[in-house]
Amino acid sequence: MNSGDGSMAKNLLTGAVGVILFLVLWQVIGAYRLAGMGWPTLTSVLDVLATPSRFGTFQRAVTATVRSVLLGYVAGFVMGFGFALLGHLWPRLKVGTDQTTAVIHAIPAIALAPLLIVFFGLAATPIAICALNVFFLVYNATSSGLLSVNNTHGDLFTAYGANRYDRFRWLELPAALPSIAAGLKLAVPAALIGTILGEWFGAPQGVGLLMVAAMQNFQIPMLWSAVLLSVAISLSMMALTSLIEHYVSHRFG
Amino acid sequence: MSVASIQPTAPEPIIGTAGIPAINLDRVGKNFRLDARREVKAVSDVSMNVGKGAFVAILGPSGCGKSTILRMIASLDEPTKGTLSVLGTTPADCAANHRMGIAFQDHALLPWLTIFDNVALPYRLAHLKADPGRVAQLIDLVGLAGFEKARPKQLSGGMRQRAAIARALLLNPDVLLLDEPFGALDAVTRRQMNVELQRIWSEQRTTTLLVTHSVDEAVFLADRVIVMSGRPGHIIREVAIPFERPRHPDVMRTVEFHHLVNELTEALHPTEGTGAP
Ligand SMILES: Nc1ncnc2c1ncn2[C@@H]1O[C@H](COP(=O)(O)OP(=O)(O)OP(=O)(O)O)[C@@H](O)[C@H]1O
Ligand SMILES: [Mg+2]
Repeated sequence: MNSGDGSMAKNLLTGAVGVILFLVLWQVIGAYRLAGMGWPTLTSVLDVLATPSRFGTFQRAVTATVRSVLLGYVAGFVMGFGFALLGHLWPRLKVGTDQTTAVIHAIPAIALAPLLIVFFGLAATPIAICALNVFFLVYNATSSGLLSVNNTHGDLFTAYGANRYDRFRWLELPAALPSIAAGLKLAVPAALIGTILGEWFGAPQGVGLLMVAAMQNFQIPMLWSAVLLSVAISLSMMALTSLIEHYVSHRFG
Repeated sequence: MSVASIQPTAPEPIIGTAGIPAINLDRVGKNFRLDARREVKAVSDVSMNVGKGAFVAILGPSGCGKSTILRMIASLDEPTKGTLSVLGTTPADCAANHRMGIAFQDHALLPWLTIFDNVALPYRLAHLKADPGRVAQLIDLVGLAGFEKARPKQLSGGMRQRAAIARALLLNPDVLLLDEPFGALDAVTRRQMNVELQRIWSEQRTTTLLVTHSVDEAVFLADRVIVMSGRPGHIIREVAIPFERPRHPDVMRTVEFHHLVNELTEALHPTEGTGAP
């Protein structure tokens, strides 16, 4: 996990080479129509993205999606973390919290969407699906993290007469942080998938809406532009959570 | 630095009754269940008393149950047979009252705390107001001055072990349990730590039970040395150590010291001796 500086630079280099290869391949496949009409050249997609008259549309869509993702992400985190704490601090509730979470996760978001639309409205449904996805991952990461305490540390706290709360505050919680941070990183793609899915059901704004509209009008470069925008949102959130994870695993691991 | 300047901050002992041994084991046995069929007999029929203010060392071959005995006294394991009391009460009560200091084979420092905060941890767990001066003094005493802000990861194995000992001494415990705390140290540091521990101990007379593999260490530090047999561990020999306190490191060069060391080594490895039974 803690790769040294040398191997980190090497990772970056291989990563960059990979990305460039991918982009070149994309352009070639598009230029020679190797994958049919649905695959535009990279340059035509970039053309769309760089059209000044579309900036307003893109900006509104990205703002709406980022807002939904962030709200859903935070709400999902708070619920998942809180629910996991509940099950951890009151072990009698643990079976209940585990099962509730498993059941919620087992219902496909597609099936829940009509209900969510009725409850929260079209505009808030992306937030709700995003929150549900994040909730599940954070719940699991927190629950397992709180149990990941090293045996000798547990013994130390017992021998020094730690009460339940102190054991949680000074041992279990810090020991759980690396797992929680890893869960937060894992939750980024899930959050974005949930939000875009929610937007497909007819949200008034968003990158997901842009995709649906482009698809229905067969504006292929536009569709790909929307996909690229969502990838950009996902990658920047991934970069941020990776930094947090790196710090936390270094400090608490 | 003067050791006498380190003042106890722990609350008054829960019992002050003279005559009650600080640690009492009465025919204690411990079996570990491996699976539905198999059990390991780790300790069998161990009875011992550690008087208030006594320093007792336990020697014995690897796997004979020394750590198991210490863990039972620290309330970390339940005996299968017999009874066990600490300061006239159960080990669990004694631990809950923050009367114990403990240093394991494994330093058990928390990786996310600095050395200072690790040593100060017992204050937090006992809900006592932290005395930063005492923490600093103890860190100095174990030779870690300057490393207060370091994290355990940045220290050597021996330094971590010393931090764990400082932590064990912090609350001036009524019972100090040490499980090979110097096992990871080089010979020179180990001897230094022995001399230091002996000095601290001679002033505070904390009831101490030390598990060690070093016969020299046991004889230099303890009032009484207990030798255990191989598994299932039971007591095969008890030897009183007569040296005056405080003990000067020079006692380790006396004939009497060597005599005791030989006697105990013989008890530990009877086959190596000439007069094996
Ligand atoms: N949790 C456990 N489960 C099963 N067996 C155990 C457990 N703890 C200890 N034992 C067994 O009990 C015996 C005594 O172990 P213990 O750790 O007390 O030995 P020890 O005298 O401290 O040895 P060492 O000097 O190597 O530290 C060993 O045979 C060990 O395998
Ligand atoms: Mg041991």
